[in-house]
Amino acid sequence: MRRLKRRINVLFLLTIFLISPSLGRDYYIYATAESEDEVALVRFDGKKIHVEKRIPVGVWPIEIEGPHGINVSPDGEYWYLSMAHGIPFGHLYKYRTGSDELVDRVELGLFPATLQVSPATGLLYVVNFNLHGGHDEVSTVSIVDPEEMVEIDRVETGIMPHGSRLLNNGLKHYSVAMMSAKLYELDAMRMEITRTLSTGKHEMKKMGGMKHKMGDHSMPKEKPTWVYPHPNDKFLYVVNNGTDEVVEVDVERWVITRRFQTEKGPYNCEVSRDGKKLVVTYKSVAKTAVWDIDSGKELAKIKNTRKVTHGVVISPDSKFAFVSVEGIGSEPGSVDVIDLSSLKLVDQADIGKQAGGIAFWKMEN
Amino acid sequence: MNKYTATLLSLILTSFLFAQDEAVEEAEKDSLYFFFEPEELTIEVGDSARVRITLVNQNGENVENPFYIYGRRRAITTSPRLSDSSGVAMVTVKAFKPGSHELSARSITKKREDRVRGTMPVEIPYPPLKSVTFVDPAETIYEGTTVSFKTVVHDEAGLVRKDAVVTLLSGEPRVADFDPFGNLSAKFKGRITVEASVENITATHTLRIVSNPVRGMSLSSPEEDARTGDVIQFSATPLTRSGKAVSDVPVKYSWTGVAEYGIGLPANAQVTQAGKFVAETAGIYTVRATTGGFTASKSVKVIPREVKSEMELVGHGLVPSVATSDLWVWPGIGKYAGKDFAVTGTWGANGDAYFWDVTDPSNIVPIDTITVDARTVNDVKVSEDGKVCVITREGASNRKNGIVILDVSDPYNVEILSEFNDDLTGGVHNVFVYQNHVFAVNNGRKFDIINIENPREPVRVSVFELKTPGHSIHDVWVVDGIAYSSNWTDGVQMVDVGGLPFIERNLPMIQSNPLLQVAGKGNFRNPISITYKEDQTGRNHAAFPFLSQSTGKFHVIAGDEWFPFGGSDAEAVGNISNPRGGYHFIDMTDIHNPEEVALYQVPEAGSHNLWVQGDTLYTAYYQGGLRVVDISGELLGDIYKQGREIAFFHGYSPDGYIPNAPNAWGPQPYKGLVYFSDMNSGLYAVRFVDKEKKETD
Repeated sequence: MRRLKRRINVLFLLTIFLISPSLGRDYYIYATAESEDEVALVRFDGKKIHVEKRIPVGVWPIEIEGPHGINVSPDGEYWYLSMAHGIPFGHLYKYRTGSDELVDRVELGLFPATLQVSPATGLLYVVNFNLHGGHDEVSTVSIVDPEEMVEIDRVETGIMPHGSRLLNNGLKHYSVAMMSAKLYELDAMRMEITRTLSTGKHEMKKMGGMKHKMGDHSMPKEKPTWVYPHPNDKFLYVVNNGTDEVVEVDVERWVITRRFQTEKGPYNCEVSRDGKKLVVTYKSVAKTAVWDIDSGKELAKIKNTRKVTHGVVISPDSKFAFVSVEGIGSEPGSVDVIDLSSLKLVDQADIGKQAGGIAFWKMEN
Repeated sequence: MNKYTATLLSLILTSFLFAQDEAVEEAEKDSLYFFFEPEELTIEVGDSARVRITLVNQNGENVENPFYIYGRRRAITTSPRLSDSSGVAMVTVKAFKPGSHELSARSITKKREDRVRGTMPVEIPYPPLKSVTFVDPAETIYEGTTVSFKTVVHDEAGLVRKDAVVTLLSGEPRVADFDPFGNLSAKFKGRITVEASVENITATHTLRIVSNPVRGMSLSSPEEDARTGDVIQFSATPLTRSGKAVSDVPVKYSWTGVAEYGIGLPANAQVTQAGKFVAETAGIYTVRATTGGFTASKSVKVIPREVKSEMELVGHGLVPSVATSDLWVWPGIGKYAGKDFAVTGTWGANGDAYFWDVTDPSNIVPIDTITVDARTVNDVKVSEDGKVCVITREGASNRKNGIVILDVSDPYNVEILSEFNDDLTGGVHNVFVYQNHVFAVNNGRKFDIINIENPREPVRVSVFELKTPGHSIHDVWVVDGIAYSSNWTDGVQMVDVGGLPFIERNLPMIQSNPLLQVAGKGNFRNPISITYKEDQTGRNHAAFPFLSQSTGKFHVIAGDEWFPFGGSDAEAVGNISNPRGGYHFIDMTDIHNPEEVALYQVPEAGSHNLWVQGDTLYTAYYQGGLRVVDISGELLGDIYKQGREIAFFHGYSPDGYIPNAPNAWGPQPYKGLVYFSDMNSGLYAVRFVDKEKKETD
């Protein structure tokens, strides 16, 4: 009996030891609410998620301007936000983290969306999604000096460029254009497109490359919506929303190496910092999937708390995935927390309507 | 740069990037700076110049670290934009946009705080001026009169340069001389040359100053009494010694006045140089007409306009849980003939449109709700025949938005007939329904015309979009085959979508509306721009045509939306929205030169939507509530100050979405009442107080 008690105590202490790093740790995440003109700062304490602050954004009191993409600067000092709608052009906003005070804004193109600051160049790269601009208008990546908030260049890519991320070394920027079904590699330093890759099984016909107009453009079925690099910078993961798959791209060989068949409507994805897990949001079925990258197997599908699963960000310790979920109509948006060990939903927090862009700010013990 | 070189450069830079931090640390980043040669640059548009940029330490020694070189997009370009690792770059700067700009250099480091930034001023002058020209200068002027001179300046690029400061000089100041504002006062007879100069460009004009035949002046007006806001046309006639009228001598009008008050507003009025006089306050006003030292004056008595009335609540349909948007009130049809109904939209909520029975306006009853996939149903409109309602969608969860077409022939059981979102995915903010066609404001960029003859199968028939840079549209309203769209900086655009058929019945309308006189070339499939009135303030938000019943004059009323305190800069964040703005009366007599003649502007409230019935303006004035304004007679000047406001009504409720806070969205006069929607509390029906009955009671 005494031995059993001792074993239980050891087991208990071991459990505490194993889970204590995340129990004693606070995770801070920013998430946008696109139909609320609001950004929420949420804190997850390892068990419970708390809405710390709801930050009103935008300048028109009776127009919804649509905060869409959000990201935090590599040093964690600022967060940047793309606002989709203006008169008519969207803007990039710069806020200070913590105080969440507006620092500056700069006008960009139509419906600016995903964005990131390169740790190498210090410049910010943001796609001009032009979501509603028709299916024959080639759009751009805007390059912004985030210190001065000056747009210094626009680089043409494809039609409706949406997902975009930089390699971890910050030297290459990748974006996918939904209606061109292509992955674009932009040299972050030279600000030039260096390579493109069709994300489908075959090269699209009638694709005019970098032309301004694509008159007889036929809509591709892949509709890639997201791209995310592996921590080793050797692979990219591209979400083909239209063909229900995530494709793995070998960066060096510039070929698709694997295809992961998903449930309907995959939308965003992220790879855990330890390089082991790929988390994919399934927008059409309101689920989030966790994949094992090595085996290429889907480990779990977790039902989300609202009907339209949107974005995902993973904590740097690879323990938790934070998923933005939109809801419909007046339903509040949600940030769902998924434990990447137990593969279970841990908690959720209601934020403003149409939760979308999501970015990790910091961990604190 | 070939592929091999580019790859090599990238590799070198990549490897350097991760190795250079130490080098930078050694050199102490605080002491680093960029050395530009030359220190500043002035280049013409289209020209290039070479700049040498060196990253140096405190001792002036070159630091081997790569850096970026760039300027503001569309102003200057730089080549290369990236130095090599030597810390020195020879950069070609090319100029594109006039103004004061900067060439920036910024070192590339891993840590943000290690980065060094330097800038060099780049001045890109505007193109050289090419010409200065007098605009319709007088050839002959009379001794003792003052004539205004105008000039226009063009630059080498052919653009009008309003920034150029023109100096006007008289060749004989003793004979005639300019004041600082371009007015030439002729003192004596003679022949003089006047000169317009700007920079090193001049233009000259020779004119004669002739003997002034005027020896007297008469001044008349058809009225001697008027109310505030009434325009009196004064006619001045300069006369010769023999009493003959002189028609070509300039006359200056002015006024003085004494207010009739003990404590109150002082006398205030306006007189145009065409002799139109209007007073804002009651009193005795004397108008003077002067030329060549001769003056005639005439006094008129101005009494208060006395149009003030009161409005009282008839009924209120409370919307407590969400923000309300637009409204439409219409008569029932079929088995509901004789009854009246209303629809209101919702804002930033659940995609609801609420239907109301307003047959008894003192008992407004919600009767049905339609919910669509949207967050905002910003606009609601019902067809002329009362069968179809069109509601707009923004914030749809599938981001397809567009419009939804409803069967409202039975408003108790509204049915969705169809949705139309093809190429309307960016959201439809406003619509108008006219002759079985929906005019849908599409993604804030253009309006689409959609045929709904078969409302179950809507078909787009055309699109109207401006070509101006950065164009944007907010609203469209269609009357008598002309679409009036509101386009922020591009102002009110008047578009021919068919006009009125040229038949006997329409002739009075066509004859009184200059736009209708030229309309008819366009149609639903081929909308054609007729004319426009720009809005340099960028506030044009709504428009409504107005044919004055009392004068027969045709205007377009252009409404602002303006949030000066809600602001786009960091300082304004957190301020309450506190809107402002007014309604501009555009006289359309000359359709090619629409002229703003009057303004109605409540000083501390924000204009939104409007409606005109007869000679009365109904406006929703956000925090200022519903405002009703007398716009009868000729309109001139500041209508608010003239006492033309008839009544106001603040709609609010302790149970409102925001309690006790008026925020009027849109008005609609209907069957002797005024309905209006209030963002914070729903639907209201109000009426003028029957003063006689009130006094009797």
